[in-house]
Amino acid sequence: MSVYDPIHQISMWGEGFKSNGNLSASVPLIDEPDMKLDSQSEDASHGILGEPNKYDQEANKPTDKIQRRLAQNREAARKSRLRKKAYVQQLESSRLKLMQLEQELERARQQGMYIGGGLDSNHLGFAGSVNSGITTFETEYGHWVNEQNRQITELRSALNAHIGDMELRILVDGMMSHYAEIFRMKSAAAKADVFYVMSGMWKTTAERFFLWIGGFRPSELLKVLGPLIEPLTEQQRLDIYTLGQSCQQAEDALSQGMDKLRQLLADSVAAGQFMEGTYIPQMTSAMENLEALVSFVNQADHLRQGTLQQMSRILTIRQAARCLLALGEYFQRLRALSSLWSNRPREPA
Amino acid sequence: MHQKNQIPDPPPATADGGGGDGNGAELDNVVKMVSENPVMVIGTRGCCMCHVVQKLLQGLGVNPPVYEVDEVDEAAVAAELSRKVVGGGGDDGGRVQFPAVFVGGKLFGGLERLMATHISGELVPILKDAGALWL
Repeated sequence: MSVYDPIHQISMWGEGFKSNGNLSASVPLIDEPDMKLDSQSEDASHGILGEPNKYDQEANKPTDKIQRRLAQNREAARKSRLRKKAYVQQLESSRLKLMQLEQELERARQQGMYIGGGLDSNHLGFAGSVNSGITTFETEYGHWVNEQNRQITELRSALNAHIGDMELRILVDGMMSHYAEIFRMKSAAAKADVFYVMSGMWKTTAERFFLWIGGFRPSELLKVLGPLIEPLTEQQRLDIYTLGQSCQQAEDALSQGMDKLRQLLADSVAAGQFMEGTYIPQMTSAMENLEALVSFVNQADHLRQGTLQQMSRILTIRQAARCLLALGEYFQRLRALSSLWSNRPREPA
Repeated sequence: MHQKNQIPDPPPATADGGGGDGNGAELDNVVKMVSENPVMVIGTRGCCMCHVVQKLLQGLGVNPPVYEVDEVDEAAVAAELSRKVVGGGGDDGGRVQFPAVFVGGKLFGGLERLMATHISGELVPILKDAGALWL
């Protein structure tokens, strides 16, 4: 039996540690009642080796057999204690490692990194098969966030280092392309599971609080970012204000269309039926409505992308860089908010 | 040349194209309406995207007539419009998709183009040029 055999050792010690101490039953090798393996195990070594008189008194004529058995018992007990000590040490170091990992995880979460495979990774389709389109999206999203964080850090350093406009433009273009990438990914994911995208399942709970048709609401974002990119010229302020108004109008129109679709979808689910003798539902018109829902996700994303592009037209390259940095950091903080809340120190219940 | 002006909020000005089997008279009617109105929306009946287009334009102060096509007639109407209105130089490569917005008698585009041009600030001047909006 090796030292690193915790399961076996647990059962051995588990029985040995029972306070009612039926030691003779559970630890058959030991027949001396005062050689207990439980809490006194630290002192046991003294108990056995430090009292040789006991054995002299008890056995006037010890036979070889008994002597041998006693020696074996002592040996077994000693080995057992050593194993226990090793096991406890192993537990201690595992515990330390676990604490370290938890801290790392926390740090990473607060920096907005994407951890793990989403909340309830229940991407089972109706027949119980895994939705590969969604699992692909989730994997890619993890990479997307990591790359996003890297770009944000790079942009921050670049702005602090006062690099030239040409280099700055490269970083800005890179970030814009990166946003284009997430919209492409979402479009593919919407075809795989439109409700998944509409509900923002890949996002942190804090991000989902602000969700509008599967993503951020452009007009809200402009209100948040506006003050962060000052100083602006009068013309720029006017242009941004106009952009915000246009976004609001487009959003309202989309929202109204969504309300209508929601009603149609509810009605078509209500009108659906089950196939004769099975539990498989027939919902052709509901399925058609889901096609429309995919269009809504796409149109909302086009609006988001269009807003970003218009901002980059209104702003100078340096302002655009600051704007993108502010945008990125805003979402990093938002992503961290969920875990900050859930990890806050609380009064024990 | 005036579009049908109605109260901005429901009901909108809809022209019912239902029941037609894509017969000549119906199609001619559609083409005529497109040329007669500064802004016109044609969409499939019950289509929610068409609803969005309509609401967006109404929000800008334009109240275009909306011509609703039955699903069965969709292909025929689209083909007719491609031929008579778009000609060979259509923006979308000739094929009309619904919902479709016509400005100044010409195909302007779908919802995506409508929103993109609105965000970029180009839409309102275009509508004004076509006489759909006044200062």
